[in-house]
Amino acid sequence: MGKRMRIGFPLMREEPGEKRVFLPDFVQKMTDAGFEVFLEEGYGNPLGFYFDDYKNDNPFVHPASREEVFQKEYVLILRSPSKSEYPSLGKNSCLISMLHYPTRPARIKLIKKLGMKTISLDSVVDDFNVRLVENMKAVAWNGLDAAFSQFSKNNPALLKNSGDPWSVLVIGSGVVGKHAVDAASKFGRPQRNASHIEKGGSGVIVRTIGRNITRHPKLIIELLKGTDVLVDATQRHSPSEPIIRNEWLSQLPEQAIIVDLSVDPYSLDTAPPIVKGIEGIPQGNLDKFVFESDDPDWDEMVPPEIPSQNRRMTVSCYSWPGIHPEACMRHYGQQIRRLMRVLCTKNYDTLSPDGLYFERALYRARVDTFLNN
Amino acid sequence: MNSENKLTIGLPIMHVEAGEKRAFLPKLVGCLEKYGAQVVLENGYGAGMGLSPEAYQQAAPALIYTANDEVFQQDIIFILRCPDEGRIRSMRRGSCLVSMLHYGTRPKRIKLLRSLGLQAISLDSITDDSGRRMIENFNAVAWNGMDAAFKLLQKIYPSPGFFDPTRPPIHITLVGAGTLGAHTVRAAVRYGNLPLQEKLVKAGVPGVIVSAVDYDITNHADIMHDLLGHTDILVDASSRKDTTRPIIANNWLAHLPPYAIVLDLCVDPYQQIGDAFHTKGIEGIPQGNLDQYMFTPDDPAFDQIPAQVPSIERRHTVSCYSWPGIHPPACMQIYGSQLHPIMRTLVSRGGVANINPDGNFFERAISRALLSNFQSSTGEK
Repeated sequence: MGKRMRIGFPLMREEPGEKRVFLPDFVQKMTDAGFEVFLEEGYGNPLGFYFDDYKNDNPFVHPASREEVFQKEYVLILRSPSKSEYPSLGKNSCLISMLHYPTRPARIKLIKKLGMKTISLDSVVDDFNVRLVENMKAVAWNGLDAAFSQFSKNNPALLKNSGDPWSVLVIGSGVVGKHAVDAASKFGRPQRNASHIEKGGSGVIVRTIGRNITRHPKLIIELLKGTDVLVDATQRHSPSEPIIRNEWLSQLPEQAIIVDLSVDPYSLDTAPPIVKGIEGIPQGNLDKFVFESDDPDWDEMVPPEIPSQNRRMTVSCYSWPGIHPEACMRHYGQQIRRLMRVLCTKNYDTLSPDGLYFERALYRARVDTFLNN
Repeated sequence: MNSENKLTIGLPIMHVEAGEKRAFLPKLVGCLEKYGAQVVLENGYGAGMGLSPEAYQQAAPALIYTANDEVFQQDIIFILRCPDEGRIRSMRRGSCLVSMLHYGTRPKRIKLLRSLGLQAISLDSITDDSGRRMIENFNAVAWNGMDAAFKLLQKIYPSPGFFDPTRPPIHITLVGAGTLGAHTVRAAVRYGNLPLQEKLVKAGVPGVIVSAVDYDITNHADIMHDLLGHTDILVDASSRKDTTRPIIANNWLAHLPPYAIVLDLCVDPYQQIGDAFHTKGIEGIPQGNLDQYMFTPDDPAFDQIPAQVPSIERRHTVSCYSWPGIHPPACMQIYGSQLHPIMRTLVSRGGVANINPDGNFFERAISRALLSNFQSSTGEK
């Protein structure tokens, strides 16, 4: 048997709440596929796994330092390492990660400058341009669950005194919006929905609107008046313009909750500048994703140039799927496993646009393919 | 297997309503031959879509044309919609039917296939490791259905007219928030037609508000009556556990404005199975097909609805058993691309008997769709 392809797994070093790692079962499957695996010391600890869980007497699983891991032929990490670590990657290494080529021009510039080989997981698409590595469902369900968890603190069965149904307004009808409708119609959690039905609750009406409504302020304001949960699931053509102006939020009932699923950042120093779809709400992460309307962090997180005087409780998280790390990584593991089988026999340079199904999908995610298109 | 020990695959024409023109495209047929199968096409295959025998022969030079009964004698019968009972009975014992078989809702069909000693792969049951259907065209169901509904609404919308910028937004009430419902939301806010959407946006005409409700809310008549009173298009995209009970009773339709349209996307049939009568999600609407999918309230089709189904309250209705079939080439291109790796796997393994349930991604997916692996809700295998 020839030499095994070597793959390194570094830890994600973002906020402390980021606990996600590939699971032991996934690592075993990598060795079954023909890889030799190197795990950064401490890999899995945030999720309660230890090296022995990964090793499991497998001769092809090894511990390694972060520096060593970065030298392997493939480096697999869900969220991109910081740009300062890019030069540490081996000359012949290929970084496999969520790199978001279209919306990260500075990252692309650096990748190009360093001559790196990268495969962006969010760019792995099939023949119909459908993403093969995604967890939009978790984005929607975790976001809506976070919102209804707040309501259910004082009202576990979510029964309204008026007997009215709950009213959710979803802005955007793309992939996240579609899942958001499903999640919202079940209060973000099937068990919660079942309990609500059992107790005779009136359910949820989920209203969805697209840009042909959002450009009519009068219609929007009318809709906001009766909304309990406002969801941003948009993918805007022009991220420099908000869809819901902060002044309009004054029309939302006081107890309403805003759910930010798009999680566009405030980036005012880029050209063109980027603002959130709902103006004046904070950006959360895995450490903190619930913001009360009187949260002192609000002023820290929203740039002063952005109007934010009208505030409602907001749930926002840069990595919604990461809220349930193990389920998230089981999901990604299934999706990525089949791609890695291809990469065990092919490498970045030999991937072909005319290969089989998964090979074609991987080819589309190479940085060179992105730059040449 | 034929005399050269090649797996034989028969592709019959879908002999259903005249409007059913779909056939697998030459590219997919060519791949079957390329991967090692002997392809047998029914005489006239593809003609409904304007595809000539030359187009197929160019893609698969060794293919054979023959009569319908001979096509059904091959190792694998590959056809999008399930053939009728007579044709299923003509299949060879041990051969395999690859088609949309809908195991979950067609108990009689399962019984028949098993009694004849046939194997089957239900295309609608081919799922990936996370349970997602791999052969589906929900997108076309939603878009084609919404497109048809809006075309009709444009004609019957009251004053000031559908294209008038002063008219209120269009209100759509959507029953069902699952996969089909999700596609429907996306199609609905775009009028099921992107050029129409652009035109209306440019003219400043207010758009569409979609109110999605899960089936539990439909137990609250007062809420539903109120909602129906403001509804321009009522859509059934539900996936009911119990199809013996409607979600929207016929007398509720009285609350809809007179010009409102009922759009039936889930197209559950009216059918008697054993002692139970199964009904549509919206009670008292006709079932359409590719020959006729638009019905005015006075259409004779309403009178063909089984007598035990109340149908006094009638609105314009849009219903089609095969929504994707309205645009045959686009539909078959999608299915062709989805089926390509499935059929490659099936042919390269030498047929269904060699599919390994623990094999590669596509083998696992096929295995989940085998009749022999289907277990009914009653535990029957």
